Amino acid sequence: MTDTHRFEEEEFSGTFNGQIALRILKQVKPYTGWVIGFVFSIGLVSFLDSYFTLLSKRIIDEGIGAGNITILQDILIQYGLLIILQSAAVFGFIYLAGILGERVQYDLRKMMFDHLQKLSLAYYNKTPVGWIMSRVSSDSERVAQLVTWGFLDLIWGALNIITASYFMITINWRLGLIVFAIIPILIVVAAQFKKKVIVEYRQVRKINSKITGSYNENITGVRVTKAFSREARNMEEFSDLTEKMYQAGFRAAWLSALFLPLVMIISSFALGAVIWYGGLQAEIGGITIGGIQAFITYITFMIWPIQDLARVYAELQRSIASAERIYSLLDSQPDITNLPDSNDIKSLQGKIQFDRVSFQYEDGENVLRDFSLTIDKGETIALVGPTGGGKSTIVNLLCRFFEPQEGTILFNGQDYTHLTQESIQSKIGIVLQTPHLFSGSIEDNIRYGNLTASEDEIRSAAKLTGAHEFISTLEKSYQEEVGEGGNLLSVGQKQLVSLARAVLRKPDLFIMDEATSSVDTITEELIQIGMDHLMKDRTSIVIAHRLSTIRRADRILYIQEGSIGEMGSHSELLKKKGLYYRLYTQQFRQDKAQEFGSFSLISNQP
Amino acid sequence: MRTEQEIRNFDIRNTITDNKVVSLWRLMSGYRGIYLTATLCLGIAAAFRSSTYLILGRFIDALVEKNNISGYIPWIAISFFVLSALQGLFTYISGRLAARTSEGITRRLRNFLFDHIQRLSFSYHDKTKTGELIQRTTSDVDAVRQFFADRAIGLGRIVLLFIVNLIVLLTLQARLALLSIIVVPLTVGLSLLFYKKVSATYDDYQDQEAVLSNTLQENLTGVRVVKAFARQEYESGKYDLENQKKFAKGKKFFTMHALFWPLSDILTGAQMLFGYYLGAMMAIQGDISIGTYLAYAGMMIWIIWPIRNLGRLIVEMSTGMVSYGRILDVIKEQREPLAAGEYTPPGPHVDGLIRFEGVSFAYDDHPVVLEDISFTCQPGQLIALLGGPGSGKTTLVNLLPRFYDYTAGCLTLDGVDLNTYPRSYLRDQIGVVEQEPFLFSRSIKENITYGVNWEVSDEEVFEASKAAAIHDVILGFKQGYDTLVGEKGVTLSGGQKQRVAIARTLLKNPRILILDDATSSVDTETEAEIHHALDKLMEGRTTFIIAHRIQSLMRADLILVLDDGRIIQKGVHLDLIKQPGKYQEIFDIQTKINSALQLELDQIA
Repeated sequence: MTDTHRFEEEEFSGTFNGQIALRILKQVKPYTGWVIGFVFSIGLVSFLDSYFTLLSKRIIDEGIGAGNITILQDILIQYGLLIILQSAAVFGFIYLAGILGERVQYDLRKMMFDHLQKLSLAYYNKTPVGWIMSRVSSDSERVAQLVTWGFLDLIWGALNIITASYFMITINWRLGLIVFAIIPILIVVAAQFKKKVIVEYRQVRKINSKITGSYNENITGVRVTKAFSREARNMEEFSDLTEKMYQAGFRAAWLSALFLPLVMIISSFALGAVIWYGGLQAEIGGITIGGIQAFITYITFMIWPIQDLARVYAELQRSIASAERIYSLLDSQPDITNLPDSNDIKSLQGKIQFDRVSFQYEDGENVLRDFSLTIDKGETIALVGPTGGGKSTIVNLLCRFFEPQEGTILFNGQDYTHLTQESIQSKIGIVLQTPHLFSGSIEDNIRYGNLTASEDEIRSAAKLTGAHEFISTLEKSYQEEVGEGGNLLSVGQKQLVSLARAVLRKPDLFIMDEATSSVDTITEELIQIGMDHLMKDRTSIVIAHRLSTIRRADRILYIQEGSIGEMGSHSELLKKKGLYYRLYTQQFRQDKAQEFGSFSLISNQP
Repeated sequence: MRTEQEIRNFDIRNTITDNKVVSLWRLMSGYRGIYLTATLCLGIAAAFRSSTYLILGRFIDALVEKNNISGYIPWIAISFFVLSALQGLFTYISGRLAARTSEGITRRLRNFLFDHIQRLSFSYHDKTKTGELIQRTTSDVDAVRQFFADRAIGLGRIVLLFIVNLIVLLTLQARLALLSIIVVPLTVGLSLLFYKKVSATYDDYQDQEAVLSNTLQENLTGVRVVKAFARQEYESGKYDLENQKKFAKGKKFFTMHALFWPLSDILTGAQMLFGYYLGAMMAIQGDISIGTYLAYAGMMIWIIWPIRNLGRLIVEMSTGMVSYGRILDVIKEQREPLAAGEYTPPGPHVDGLIRFEGVSFAYDDHPVVLEDISFTCQPGQLIALLGGPGSGKTTLVNLLPRFYDYTAGCLTLDGVDLNTYPRSYLRDQIGVVEQEPFLFSRSIKENITYGVNWEVSDEEVFEASKAAAIHDVILGFKQGYDTLVGEKGVTLSGGQKQRVAIARTLLKNPRILILDDATSSVDTETEAEIHHALDKLMEGRTTFIIAHRIQSLMRADLILVLDDGRIIQKGVHLDLIKQPGKYQEIFDIQTKINSALQLELDQIA
């Protein structure tokens, strides 16, 4: 065993690149109508804001200055009508941006979820669940934000600057140029600032993901914490983390807080200049009083977006990094795909062959070497042998969770890579050692094996597998909730439910990987009887340690180091006095030894 | 003045009330002074801003009257600059103080929640989904942080801006000032109306998000089952259904927002036009100077702006309020008192004399799971439990460390009622090896030393893992004991996890030991090794063992056979095999296999 399982978090730059931008645009393409609507609305809002300043100027110059009440009233009516128009535009952009964001998020999540269903187990073996979770939840949210509010900030900012510049130039171009002189200064300051703040926020995010990780373990491992009364020490460790978070968060926040005043001071230079120069111009009649007022307002207009630049840029970067991560998930190719010419297999009842199969996991673990085996129709095969010998790998290959790197696996003489995965897997019933149930009722979980099964069928599957007995003692019987991952049930109960689930499926090929390891003897005996009946005309493969299960098999394979060490029926193998013999006589001797031990223990007592 | 430590360890349960505003105010305890100062600084900054408008008005008047103003202009320009600088300075101070408050409160909240969650009862954790708790501890906490970082202070700022500008306006022209605020009650009313609606839709929206992420998580953790049953389409359908619901809820949420804004814009816009009209008419009629009009127009924006934003803030604050409400739901849950217990044990160790007398147990209002359990266990004895799934074996042993408290009868340890022992004391005395042990994403060494709170030498760790038959496996990893466990490191097999868990319990050296079906998932050879390890572990300790194989429990001093929460048989092996009953039945099945094997061996011999 090696530790190459380690998952390296890839670094995503977040720098702008055309390819990502193009893909994001493609994401939005189906909603072009909404995008046009919302860009138009935001444009209208921005333009009207600038235009209102012009109207205020006219109120001063043409209304008050000229003492003309009629014009004043005309301007105000115009103003009022435009406010109503602007309100409609405001409704438009909030609504459209809102649903566009939700829709993009919906689409991304759907795409990722559907893609995840296609990815093979090799992917899941090397990718932590938490990593996938945050791609689907938070990264999709951030990309949705980018195409709506991020986009909106950019357009709004740009339009504000453009319209304000336009109106300033028309009012007094010399004064306008003075104001423009501060823009480069502001941009330089903003860029410098951006760098610092981004570093801080990156730090904050790093610690934040650690905090989330801690919470996750704190919740999922709470039973261990309690059993070891580890509360105080956990808290100590965690408060170190929150202390770091406090420091980083505080630093990031006050650095950001410094930015706004800085912008204010720089822009006050512009204001001062406008007063100074504007005052002089007004004296000689170059600008009206309303004009000066308008200038002051326009400066604020231009400064808002620039002052926001650092924030918008940082968010843009984050969103692009999010998009990169999402696309890296969507781009990961499933290792196992249906070949273009593959067809459905009708039935798995027939000969199953492993023809010189070699297989190795990505990390070099559990190799299967030049493995050949033929399983006849209806045969029951038991796999025994030490942990890590390759038993589960054989099952994984058979279910086509993985494909052999060399050699072929044949169903009815057909290479299974030329068959569709779905047609194979839909005819296999598998029960795993660590059974996983889904939230919902027991009935829902059994029905997972056959979605169209009737209640009677579910009950008879449960009876056959010995699950019915415990289910009927439950308060709500088959409607009892099993909890997250089935955790409200004991391991033995979970195994019974998952056995019933596989039985309900009526598979052609039955696979049990340590399926009843946590079940008591009487229940196991009960299951055996039921399963014997079930397995009679089905090909079955059983991995087990208990002799009671193994001895019933038609053929037993002792698997070690990736190949068949011994093969034969129970009595044949015993006669061989080889590996199998050793394994079971050893267990037997231990049992005997314990028996004798206990005899002596008891006889020593008075 | 409270110390830093006191402020940090503020008990957030004190904030529980029905009124969320009061709750949030209480949450600020220890930071109120700083926060008020921060708000005040914003007010001062606002005052400086208003002064600029006054100066502007004076400047324009001078300009209109064509006085000799050339000398003034530089001064006016400079004072503009100075006022801006001062405004900037105070804005900065306020931002810094607000950051201290919001980060401080967040740290306090995070710490408290972390500790609170690990002290909540088993029953709570049984019924609560991980995803739900995670969401409350992360995204809801962040919403509260934002609430203090910009929203609450924004509210203070708005109120101050409004007051400062109103006062200045009142001194400028009282009638105009009063006519400029008639819209205030309308806007506030509108905001409150929307606040309720937005809160409700947001709560809904967040809930759906939690449902969605739980669906995803279950799909991911159950990926093998999904694949094995070729249920990809079914799963996609399930997820899509929740995803669509979330879209619908998001749409509702944004529609609320989209309706609120234009309505409030129209209200405030009308107010502004009304103000312009009045002001302009007064200026034309000569009641006020044109400079006064300009100052008025400038400041009116700063009265209307706060009102408009008041609405926005109230609506936005609703998200903070909703989130805090969701956090409070967790905080309201009763903790398991760890240290509480009238009884002070005389020594550092218990003897291990345990007596069950008619003990029953039921989860909350559910039917009883254990009924009328009676037996006695002498110190150092081995007690074995046997029974079918759901017969109550695990529940019975879970009563001992007080993971759950028994609900009827009497259960004593060393002659003292178990419920009077402090839980932390009991748990220090009891070691549990679970059926499906949980390991943490730390190094193997840290996992083994997880349960001890003293310095452990490497030798002790090695010894424990040798005894648990895992030492050689660990040395086989590239990084040995420093190898990380879990998603970021190696994936241990069920049997390996089991043995690490045994080493962890060995190191803890408990007086009472509970082995809950600890060897079911390992192969025969490993099982033999583990049994060997367990024998060592059991020496001199009171031990409870749950197992299915008679061989594992026949040595027990007392065997309890459970069925449906009751003891149906008890005694020692030799007596039980003679009684007709479940035990004999099990024994027969198991010996049948062994005797068959014996027969076969005899034949080939």
